[in-house]
Amino acid sequence: MNLEKSWRRLQQQVVETQVWKSIFRVGIPNTNRKRVLAVLGNVVLHLHPVKTRKSGVKMRYTWCAGGMTFFLFLVLTFTGLLLMFYYRPTIEYAYGDMLDLREQVPFGIMREMHRWGAHAMVITVWIHMFRVFMTGSYKPPREFNWNVGVVLLVLTLLLSFTGYLLPWDQLAIWAITVGSNMARATPLAGYEGPFAAQIAFNGVNLVTAGSDARFGLLGGRIVGANALLRFYVLHCVFIPLIAAFLMAVHFWRVRKDGGISGPL
Amino acid sequence: MTAIKDIINWLASPAIAVTLSMVGLVGAMFCKPLWTKKGGILLFATLIGGFAFSFTDPNFRIVASMPDNVPILGMLFLVGFFFWYAMYQAHLNDARLAKGLPPLEKEDSDKKVFTWPDLVYVELISLIVCSIVMILWSIVLKAPLEEPANPGAAPNPAKAPWYFLGLQELLVYFDPWMAGVVLPTLIIVGLMAIPYIDTNPRGNGYFSFRERKWEIVMFCFGFIILWVVLIILGTFLRGPNWNFFGPYEYWDPNKLVPLNNVSVSEIFWVKWLKTALPAFWLKRELPGILLVLFYMGALPGLLSKTLFKRFYEKMGTVRYVVGVNLFLIMLAVPIKMYLRWIFNLKYIVNIQEFSFNI
Amino acid sequence: MTESESRGVSAAGSAAVAPTRRGFISWLAVGWLAFAAGIGAFVTTMARFLFPNVLFEPPSSFKAGYPSDYQVGEVDERWKEKYQIWVVRNTEMTYALITVCTHLGCIPNWLASQNKFKCPCHGSGYYRSGINFEGPTPRPLERAAISISPEDGQIFIEKARKFLYEKGQWTDPAASIKTT
Ligand code: HEM
Ligand code: FES
Repeated sequence: MNLEKSWRRLQQQVVETQVWKSIFRVGIPNTNRKRVLAVLGNVVLHLHPVKTRKSGVKMRYTWCAGGMTFFLFLVLTFTGLLLMFYYRPTIEYAYGDMLDLREQVPFGIMREMHRWGAHAMVITVWIHMFRVFMTGSYKPPREFNWNVGVVLLVLTLLLSFTGYLLPWDQLAIWAITVGSNMARATPLAGYEGPFAAQIAFNGVNLVTAGSDARFGLLGGRIVGANALLRFYVLHCVFIPLIAAFLMAVHFWRVRKDGGISGPL
Repeated sequence: MTAIKDIINWLASPAIAVTLSMVGLVGAMFCKPLWTKKGGILLFATLIGGFAFSFTDPNFRIVASMPDNVPILGMLFLVGFFFWYAMYQAHLNDARLAKGLPPLEKEDSDKKVFTWPDLVYVELISLIVCSIVMILWSIVLKAPLEEPANPGAAPNPAKAPWYFLGLQELLVYFDPWMAGVVLPTLIIVGLMAIPYIDTNPRGNGYFSFRERKWEIVMFCFGFIILWVVLIILGTFLRGPNWNFFGPYEYWDPNKLVPLNNVSVSEIFWVKWLKTALPAFWLKRELPGILLVLFYMGALPGLLSKTLFKRFYEKMGTVRYVVGVNLFLIMLAVPIKMYLRWIFNLKYIVNIQEFSFNI
Repeated sequence: MTESESRGVSAAGSAAVAPTRRGFISWLAVGWLAFAAGIGAFVTTMARFLFPNVLFEPPSSFKAGYPSDYQVGEVDERWKEKYQIWVVRNTEMTYALITVCTHLGCIPNWLASQNKFKCPCHGSGYYRSGINFEGPTPRPLERAAISISPEDGQIFIEKARKFLYEKGQWTDPAASIKTT
């Protein structure tokens, strides 16, 4: 009893310091007014509405699968940034850096966290999509947000795919060889694709191994140095930026479409 | 024991496994007792029992415990669990709806709660649980790293990342431009089109099966069969040289499976008409082209007058045309697979001149 | 329509000073077209940026020793890892097969016991000649240009010059060397 009292007193003292107030503005959110302010005044929490439908908060409804996906995205961003301190995206160094990350770096589980996190994120995205489908939450007015979601699903898979090349081991190079060779089969734009050989000027083929869609993707005819660098940049900068932007749109739309769906 | 394993090996071969899972899935969805707590326990026990039994088999153990395959096992259990959970809640609601009561979610949906603390704390707890799982998983299981990249020698079997193994399985049945470009694009387009095609206003914001049977069956067909089941097939049952191996079979790199395949043009001209293949491509491929034109061009119209009349009237022309075409293409995937299994069919249309093979 | 016309008439007198509405609209159209063209040009340059002019890829032609180094009736794998080439010699000729599966680019294995090339990725199979007979691949393996170097009598292989069976190019004199 006494302990609780002194704990409360301590809490009170902390939230009344100038430092705390300068950061959070409100004290302990123990009145409705303060609860509202706590959410409104915080840029992170402000992703949420102030009040939510009770059904939408329940685990049994959302399974928190979307939230989990977002959290895993944050985990991946963080561990990925740490990996970037050690990893060099060149053919000479990439594989060795991977070995060092495993053997020489203290607490060498960042690579594990990053890799398993990526797998987990793919799984949670699927489960999230499945949940959204099964509750019919894509129906009006949420059609657009479903579409934002589909793009996020594709981006998640692309993130995984581009990351798969970076260890530069046998698994990596062959998965990407096979995967990128599909681009070679794009109708018209890939040199082995349907009708590509018919695009010719004065008998010279215009779509060749040196000018087709796959070449543009890899920056070369083979999965080599250019491809590694390109995938690195796509993986670490390009796709995450787009995904982060779209996630902001996604969350914003969840709010604007009337919060988590529920029966009318 | 070996007899049981032989039977399971046989049942797992692509043709039978895909048939069984298709029939099983659709059948199960209409089998109400499965979607109760008892049914759930039964399903779960079967799954666990099956795995426990399989793990006693050395060949299965080798494949299932490769580090990159562990997430797939996790995925299997999670997808399985959530599938049951969604259907369980759907049937609870269906029972209420049948009695004229609102769905369970309705009781809560009128009340509003403050984000702080009700939502923030749920999120915090999920976040902590998720972190703990990730850290433990990372400590227990090392991330795989194989030999350094060697452009001169492919590993055998060479596999894509597991979430693309469904597509890799399609590569066995379709040319790369279909399996790698057209079908993935259509999957994305199809997913995006769902909210605009589906005009059923009911079942919005709560779990329910009875109000949207068709939609759910079709979606689960795509998601469970064409996505998850094919991934399982590609991961656990495709071994060296991309040959099929039963779950308890040793991955023998020298296994010999003849894969001689024929095209529609060969069947039509050589086998039926007993003539040589015509030299001109249009004539040679006419039977196949007509088949495709019929399937994509005439079938939607025919269906709109017969089987899908109801949908056509409800959806209107544009929605119907888009929807039925996406549906037919989705269906074309298993159709082509069956044609391969039954007739060894390789191409329906085979115009090498333009690299245009279907 | 009538309104803008009547305005056009009434404003005609002062056309030198104030632009008519119609004139203004066409300037607007020009402006927008220029804007679209600018965007288009920019996108094109960006796309072109992705296609480098110079590549630093391994050389694609090499000397492969003397014809007598190769056994008749053998599929020789000594250049497989380094240059992705099989040299096949039979009683009639010697040819160079490129070891890249024409399906999606994996490296098939030569299974001497079954007398075929078999791809580990999706199971395409090829005869010793390079012609496909099973699996998903749509076409045979490719052959590389092969010749006897006039300087030293060594075999010279150029991977950049490919010969495709389905285009009838295997009969080209550069696609094989006759065994004498
Ligand atoms: C990177 C991937 C994604 C992230 C981080 C994400 C995150 C979220 C979050 C946090 C929510 C709030 C509710 C919940 O947790 O379930 C949500 C809702 C939603 N998501 Fe996603 N999502 C992603 C991908 C997707 C995908 C693939 C789809 C569908 C194809 C989708 C469609 C939706 C829709 C329609 C809602 C509103 C659901 C409702 O109101 O009940 N999202 N998303
Ligand atoms: S890459 Fe050889 S069969 Fe697919």
